Amino acid sequence: MATDSHALTPQDHSPVAGLAHDERGGISNVVLGMLLFITSEVMFFAGLFAAYFNVRANAPQWPPINAETGEAFHLEILPLVGPATVLLILSSFTCQFAVWAIRRGDRTAFLRNIGVTFAIGVTFLIMQGIDYTILYSEGVTLGSGTFGTTYFTLTGFHGAHVFGGAIMLGVVLYRGLAGQFSARHHDAVEAVSLYWHFVDVVWILLFSLLYLLPGKSPAGV
Amino acid sequence: MHPLRHPRNAIFVGLMFSLIGVVYWFVQYRADFHADIAGVTLLLLLGVAVSIMAYVLIAGSPND
Repeated sequence: MATDSHALTPQDHSPVAGLAHDERGGISNVVLGMLLFITSEVMFFAGLFAAYFNVRANAPQWPPINAETGEAFHLEILPLVGPATVLLILSSFTCQFAVWAIRRGDRTAFLRNIGVTFAIGVTFLIMQGIDYTILYSEGVTLGSGTFGTTYFTLTGFHGAHVFGGAIMLGVVLYRGLAGQFSARHHDAVEAVSLYWHFVDVVWILLFSLLYLLPGKSPAGV
Repeated sequence: MHPLRHPRNAIFVGLMFSLIGVVYWFVQYRADFHADIAGVTLLLLLGVAVSIMAYVLIAGSPND
């Protein structure tokens, strides 16, 4: 016998329920899970940041001397890392535009923006790969003392998260092209956008620490 | 209505941990101790993590 048990009510949980613009309360399982995952990721990166600060604070000078070249390590913002940073920040905007588009049911704008976000994510990874290659050729490796270890651990784990985010974006793009997602059902889009914003924020922190924070001269110099 | 009224207010629960981190750093700084930078970093970001956790718990609860 047919029932109306699946009829939507104002109390139904939607992907955005619980967020500021939705007064219905509750939150979808997908978004809930992603937020809890991000919570654990915050502490994961907190551990890495803490290790970096600890190493940096206990070093006589920062950046330290590269034993191979006899000069202090130096990281270049241009030509790769700066533009890659701008691109990643830009991708957060396109990702959010995609979310807003699917919320109002504009599938064309959603697909365009999620496609651009995916492309930028892949581009960022390629640029990071090229940057790693250049650093290795200059003698900055994972084995370059505490500097190389902390630099490649921090940026490498972040890169792994961008890789994971790009896969998620790829899946969302594929599902979108297959005709899935609507103004009513787009939990995955909301969840992936939250993750992508998180990855973006982590990179801004990383970039500020590794490239913008002034170094430390040896005592007495 | 939940006592915290709005999920965003739950973030203040997490901010308390960040505040403890700031106080922890300030005491070391004023007393001229060797600063425990790792501890301060973890406390500050624990505040962020707890903020999200508190938000999720409140936002995930129905209004009734």
